[in-house]
Amino acid sequence: MVSHDEFENIWKKPAVKIGFITVIIPTLMCFLPNIYLYLRYGAFPPVSVALKSWGMIAAIFGAFYVVEPVSYYPILGLTGTYISFLSGNIGNLRVPCSAVAQEVVGVEAGSPEAEIVSTLGLTGSVVTNLFFTTLAAIAGTALLAVFPEPIAIAFKQYTVAAIFGAVFGQFTLKYPKLAVAGIAIPLLIYIVAPKIGLGFLTQTWIVIVASVFGTIAVGRLLYKKGLL
Amino acid sequence: MPEAVLRAANDWVVWAIAIAIVVIVLIQSLLYIRLSFSTAERIGFPKEKCVQGLRAGAISAIGPSIAVFIVMVGMMSVVGGPITWLRLSIIGAAPTELTAATVGAEALGVKFGSADYDIQALATSWWTMTINGTGWLLVTALFTHKLEDLREKIGGGDAKWLAIVSGGAMLGCFGFLNSRNIMAGFKGLQAGTAGGGGPLYAAIGGLLGMVLMLTLAKKLTWLREYTLGIAMLIGMAVAVILV
Repeated sequence: MVSHDEFENIWKKPAVKIGFITVIIPTLMCFLPNIYLYLRYGAFPPVSVALKSWGMIAAIFGAFYVVEPVSYYPILGLTGTYISFLSGNIGNLRVPCSAVAQEVVGVEAGSPEAEIVSTLGLTGSVVTNLFFTTLAAIAGTALLAVFPEPIAIAFKQYTVAAIFGAVFGQFTLKYPKLAVAGIAIPLLIYIVAPKIGLGFLTQTWIVIVASVFGTIAVGRLLYKKGLL
Repeated sequence: MPEAVLRAANDWVVWAIAIAIVVIVLIQSLLYIRLSFSTAERIGFPKEKCVQGLRAGAISAIGPSIAVFIVMVGMMSVVGGPITWLRLSIIGAAPTELTAATVGAEALGVKFGSADYDIQALATSWWTMTINGTGWLLVTALFTHKLEDLREKIGGGDAKWLAIVSGGAMLGCFGFLNSRNIMAGFKGLQAGTAGGGGPLYAAIGGLLGMVLMLTLAKKLTWLREYTLGIAMLIGMAVAVILV
């Protein structure tokens, strides 16, 4: 066992350094294709259009820039946040893979060991995912033709819903009482809020914050009463 | 989409930039793998367990990655191969990126992917996707270490409570994600649309499948790495059968 300060030095500090550099560089590099399009083809959105489209997209996703990293943080942890927000597909791929890795190895959530195993599970998922996206980029259209249509449709329509159900099932086994709160809070908001004139509460970012931090709050109450 | 636009979207320079960025994503993972193994050694955590975690993550990602693969092929035909590869290898999930690309085209008054979708529209789509993605990436790059401080404060060194915080966040988050599919399923069933209950059935099938797999895996330990993949297939099968 190492002390808190030691772990800080051998894990957290290098983890933050790696994370910051490997996130900020791609962030800037993402602009290169757009700049190339301008230099080579003279294509650039007119300022008025650019402002309009940025305004529209910020209205849809702006709140998530902050809400998602904050809400996913207790799940993903330090390295997990850098990895997951760089590589994307968080709910449908990263979090489930981290959870399975921790389940397989059998570590206590929130411990330094869990942090290491979760990191490894996530990096493993990045490698697999990159393999498939690269395969799609190179030979996707040809390979998709080999898939029987009904199977391709089933994958397209149902995998994400099935994965969400599976992860919820995994944690329901661990904390059945908390699971009730986890599913009841968003459903109540969606069903009840519009009926009592509080329809604005059904905005997605409000539902995420209410569900995540509401369930943690219920966890606090149950823990204090010795029920967890 | 006009031929010239498609050609510009698949320009080799754009491919080269995309390759460079995807390589950085890979480097990040390799650096974290190295850090994990070295830290594990120093705190006396067995190497075999590290390998086991890495394997579990890699195997569990197969099922979800096939879904990403299929969606990606569709997106490639509209915004080009390299940009799709780039956007789905970093931050983006397909729905977010497609929304951004569509919003960009609409702001210009052009229908996304139509015959009028010229190079100007392509540029607007790309810029909108980039700016949108930058939001998450900047917050992550600049504030993640602050969130760690916050977590430590909330956790207060109580290991059991910290585990409950993670578990509660997980159940709240996935409760929310499932609630949307449940609502969509019920609405589809009420409206009587073909395949309307699908998302609901898939979610319930996935949940029951996972509970079943984890129960079986207590005895059959080799099964543990495949629980997510099998549960996913069960959920999909239930949806296909009931719809």
